[in-house]
Amino acid sequence: MLHAAIERLAAVMALLGGVVLCLLVVMVCVSVSGRELSDLAHAGPLGSIGEWLINLGVGPILGDFELVEAGIAFAIFSFLPLTQLKGAHAKVDVFTSGMGEGVNRALGTFWSIVMAAVIVLITWRLFIGMQDKIRYGETTYLIQFPIWWAYAASLIAAICASIVSIYCAAMRLTGQRAI
Amino acid sequence: MSDLALGYLSFPFLLLLIFLRAPIGLAMLLCGIGGLWLATDGTTVFMARLKSEVYSTFSSYNLSIIPMFLLMGQFATYSGMSRALFKAAEAWLGHRKGGMAMASVGACAGFGAICGSSLATAATMSKVALPELRKYGYSGGFSTATLAAGGTLGILIPPSVILVIYAILTEQNIAKLFAAAFIPGILAALGYMLTIAIYVRIYPDQAGTRERINYAARIKALGAVWPVLLVFGLVVGGIYQGWFTPTEGAAVGAMGTALIALFSGSLNWQVFRQSITETATGTGMIFFIVLGAGFYNGFLALTQVPQELSAWVTLQGFSPWMVMVLILVFYLILGCLMDSLSMILLTVPIFWPVISGLDFGMTTEELAIWFGIMVLIVVEVGLITPPVGMNLFIINSMDRDTPMTATYRSVLFFVGSDVVRVFILLMFPAITLVFV
Repeated sequence: MLHAAIERLAAVMALLGGVVLCLLVVMVCVSVSGRELSDLAHAGPLGSIGEWLINLGVGPILGDFELVEAGIAFAIFSFLPLTQLKGAHAKVDVFTSGMGEGVNRALGTFWSIVMAAVIVLITWRLFIGMQDKIRYGETTYLIQFPIWWAYAASLIAAICASIVSIYCAAMRLTGQRAI
Repeated sequence: MSDLALGYLSFPFLLLLIFLRAPIGLAMLLCGIGGLWLATDGTTVFMARLKSEVYSTFSSYNLSIIPMFLLMGQFATYSGMSRALFKAAEAWLGHRKGGMAMASVGACAGFGAICGSSLATAATMSKVALPELRKYGYSGGFSTATLAAGGTLGILIPPSVILVIYAILTEQNIAKLFAAAFIPGILAALGYMLTIAIYVRIYPDQAGTRERINYAARIKALGAVWPVLLVFGLVVGGIYQGWFTPTEGAAVGAMGTALIALFSGSLNWQVFRQSITETATGTGMIFFIVLGAGFYNGFLALTQVPQELSAWVTLQGFSPWMVMVLILVFYLILGCLMDSLSMILLTVPIFWPVISGLDFGMTTEELAIWFGIMVLIVVEVGLITPPVGMNLFIINSMDRDTPMTATYRSVLFFVGSDVVRVFILLMFPAITLVFV
């Protein structure tokens, strides 16, 4: 029951992040084609079609750079819960593989607790960081959207990552599941 | 304790944590935080850094190229191009002695041109090529070894996720690094084919033969791979020509492979979700390591370890080539234990200042590019070095009747080919720097 809910949470967050990533890909492609087309139109070889394009306002998307930064941060924070749940972090197990199951289980439990603590710490600091951004009213350079919006979106994803990693640690500690 | 001593001591401690099975990113993060705590006598510094650095790492425009390249590789996996590439290579090479194995290597090289990861290339190509190789009488060990080696081309032939990380660490031009990786990548593919030719002459019973195909059919098979050439040309050519930034190139590439997958009819909701899931765990893993490395390297920089080490090495008057060889051997050994990305993030900030302080008779930029390619190659050799090379496990697990030892025996030939190539590229840096 709880496990199914956690699995769903991680899957939904990953999918959300993935959709944002795909939207960024589309946006960048549109922006690049807009920029190249507008360069071409200004250079002249397209003639009247070029002028028509210029009048139409074809060009790069304003602030695409900033949108990539904000979106990619959310996407990566959203990928963390699934990374946690699947235990997809890179490890070296050559040295411990001969040490027997008990030792390995204890190490796994220990690190999942430390991991949960670190992710909670990161989430908490992200929250403090967001408050700073609100206080100073920082905005992005071109399209002037408040940076704390991006922090807030990332914070939601980071909270999900905290929930998932605490769950993983608790399951290992109580010996119910090895994740 | 002085900061410098703290910096030096942190290294064995970090290795201890990693060998005790700590997730590598976590181990680096802990050492970074702990080191900053001790070096600055308090929690203020690292707590302040945690406030903004996590977000700024994850929102980095330069690093956003990584999830996009991973997505591109995932869509490529479902694009049907692995089969088309194998069919084309097989049509031209399949009738030769060991030809089907050579075709697998050729197809891996082609797939590497639209996929930036070694494991993904090895796994995807194996799905297509392994059954075919076995059908035509290639032994299990020889087949799995060929594909494990071929998989390393995924990361050598641009685009390459590891080169992106290296470029960011050493502040080099990604386009130039991609260009520099091209010839060594082709050399690797040719070297593997030569290895196969030698192998089947020593063990003729391990490879079957297949009848010759007429030229009309060959050209038809070759024609089916044009989308790969188009996407590769657009992405790598576009970045190289300066039409777009590397991140934009990655986005164009992801769009390109998504379109190929869409038109081949294999991109449905299920596949899309699968691609996202794989991209998510891959990205999460990489960024956690990048985050940990950021903190650890921040701490090391504070302790001045990289500068001191570099100054010390320069002062000893070692021959630059000796230092280079020692570093490469170190990578070769560590590469058998650790994944390539963690290794690069962990060691390049220490080794690059050392190397850049030595005189190899080239400009700093040339040196950075050459060193990067050399490191990339030796790190990749680690992926196929018995007993722990990761590609070997992935491929071997896909062929249940082949014992691991059979794969080990055959792959040593490919490791040999790698060592010869490392020597050649080490002796003649000009080969790597031709397009730079």
